Amino acid sequence: MLTESVNSLSDEQTALVSLDLPLRANLSARENVALIPLYQKHFDAAESSRQAQALLDQLGFGAISDKRDPDMNPSERFVTKLARALILKRPQLVIERPGAMLYDIPYPAFLRGLAFRIENGPAKWEVFDFDWNRPLYD
Amino acid sequence: MFKNLHLKVGLFVITVLVLSLGFLLYVMHARGFFEQRQHLNLAAASADGISPGMALTFSGMPIGQVSSVNLNDAGGIVIKAEVSQDGARWLRVDSTFTLDKPLVGGAKIKVSSPNLSSPQLPDNSTVLLLVTDPTQEIPALIERVKNILANVEHITRQDGELNGALANVKTITGRMNGKYGVLEGMLGSEENARPVVASLKNLETLTKRLNDVSAKVDAMLAKTDRWLFAEDGLSEQSKQALAQVRAMLTDAQGSLKRVDALLKNAVDISANVKDGTQDLGKLRADIDEAVRKANDLISDINRMWPFSKDADMKLP
Amino acid sequence: MEFLLNFIERTGAKAAGWWSTTYGIVSFLTDVLSTITRHTTWNRATLDTIAKQIYFTAVQILHIYIIYVMAISWVIITITLSTARNVGLFDAATEMIIRVLLLELLPFLTALLIALRSGSAINTEVALMKVNNELDALSHCKVEPMQFEFLPRIAGGVISVIGLTVLGSVLTTILAYLSIYGMSATGFSTFSTTIATVFSVNILLGLAVKCTFFGLAVTTLPMAAGIETPKKLFMVPVSVLRGMMRVFLALVLIEVLSLALKYI
Repeated sequence: MLTESVNSLSDEQTALVSLDLPLRANLSARENVALIPLYQKHFDAAESSRQAQALLDQLGFGAISDKRDPDMNPSERFVTKLARALILKRPQLVIERPGAMLYDIPYPAFLRGLAFRIENGPAKWEVFDFDWNRPLYD
Repeated sequence: MFKNLHLKVGLFVITVLVLSLGFLLYVMHARGFFEQRQHLNLAAASADGISPGMALTFSGMPIGQVSSVNLNDAGGIVIKAEVSQDGARWLRVDSTFTLDKPLVGGAKIKVSSPNLSSPQLPDNSTVLLLVTDPTQEIPALIERVKNILANVEHITRQDGELNGALANVKTITGRMNGKYGVLEGMLGSEENARPVVASLKNLETLTKRLNDVSAKVDAMLAKTDRWLFAEDGLSEQSKQALAQVRAMLTDAQGSLKRVDALLKNAVDISANVKDGTQDLGKLRADIDEAVRKANDLISDINRMWPFSKDADMKLP
Repeated sequence: MEFLLNFIERTGAKAAGWWSTTYGIVSFLTDVLSTITRHTTWNRATLDTIAKQIYFTAVQILHIYIIYVMAISWVIITITLSTARNVGLFDAATEMIIRVLLLELLPFLTALLIALRSGSAINTEVALMKVNNELDALSHCKVEPMQFEFLPRIAGGVISVIGLTVLGSVLTTILAYLSIYGMSATGFSTFSTTIATVFSVNILLGLAVKCTFFGLAVTTLPMAAGIETPKKLFMVPVSVLRGMMRVFLALVLIEVLSLALKYI
């Protein structure tokens, strides 16, 4: 049910943060985020790198920018994926099964904290989670 | 992490570019792209064995190559050749151009200028290409090979000088080992040693003669060598025949040389015996040694040169 | 009857497999071509990645490569010269060395070295990217892995094979000259004549084309094999094995074709 609804979201409109969309393992957090301005929006390397760093700073994780995927803890990995989704600048942001990615922290509070830091982000944030996790968000 | 990455890659790429450009220029230079080349038309009755790229040599040094072989409208052969500016100095109006097809290796066109004071050959001139016809010389060649083989057979036949010498060695060693042999006599008196010394002296003269014989064969073979490989090329079957002849001659020469070495060894032994007569103890040791050596010698000779069989040289 | 049916079925399955493999490789190659022709591909970032790939593929092994080439060239030059001396074909030795080493052996061995070192690494990396969903993640972000992962590796591979072959060839030419004539300029004109005879325009062009195909083979085939890996971790070694086998067959095929074109 869950995967079906996620798959029905269009790529053009939705930026997805998911366990199934990992980071590029041999690139650092900053490079992973900078890929999008660099290759999709055709900024030059320095500008892309600056944008990526700025976004990570805004999320409060500027210090992890040189870490690669295997060296990150779950929240750092999540934040990098979130930054990558945000920099796509799509109208809708979907976080799929956050509990699978943020398994070692009280993640609803963590998500709220991150959302609070984002100004002029996507119009719509959606969190897809299992029904039995609903009480966690109250 | 990778400091100087761009510097190193840049160095690599630039080195490769410079080297390829350099190599390209070198090949162009080698192909005469940058120099004026003198053109030459060679007239020949047939283009048999001539192909583009074939080298023109002067005194063995390459000076140019054949650039194209074509038929003209009249059905004649047009061979165009290019000679480097440097090599063109050696082309004179009276130079001869000969197609040289060696037995082994690629054919080439030999240029010889007998008179270097003659005027230079002008550009685009037409010269005659000589092609020697080796097939006409083959009967004479075969006759000469037959003579050599007869000579060799004479040397190596049963009652020939070589076998005489070898038989002598056998006799001597037989005597040394015999029931009433020299060795037993040696233990009693030195009187009996004399025949040995005499025999060995005899052997020395024989060896000298044999040396002369083998020198003669050597000389003959040297001549054959020169003459076999100097000719400009032979038809296929005569080539095979000559290769066979040459192999046999080489074999005969090898055998003669081996015999020669062994006989020289025998001469050394005889010299030792002569010195040894002054000291009986030493002499005995020497004789023992001589007998052992002579025995070895006999078995060696038997192994290398079978006496019982007929001489193994046969006319083809 | 059943045996016959089985046989036909197996043949059909095999043919289908071959077809899908060939189709995969061809579609990958067309993808590569279309990326190359797009002008947006050629920005600073792509060039940077290509430089990085050249560094990993060629510069990092430069010293090993030079030792390897010198050793092989020295052995083959020595053997050829002594054999030629014994047989009495010393005049042909230079040409033999140039033909065997510069035209055939060096490009082939270079391609083989790069296939062993970089080709296998590329195959594993792409297979892991595929199995880990990294390729899906990139396509979700609308970032073409072709531009920043595949194309730079292909360009790097081709440039590295050509570059290393040029370096090796120049070193071997010098080594051959020194082995034949020693430290003197006497043989230079004879040597040049031989070089001129061997390296015609066609041969030079053919050599460049051959090296390019070698470079393409050692990079694109492992990549295509990596991309078609099923999303199962245990299939990664199988994918590498298949990819490297294809590389080997392709190298031999290119070599045989080039020889056939040259001498037949």
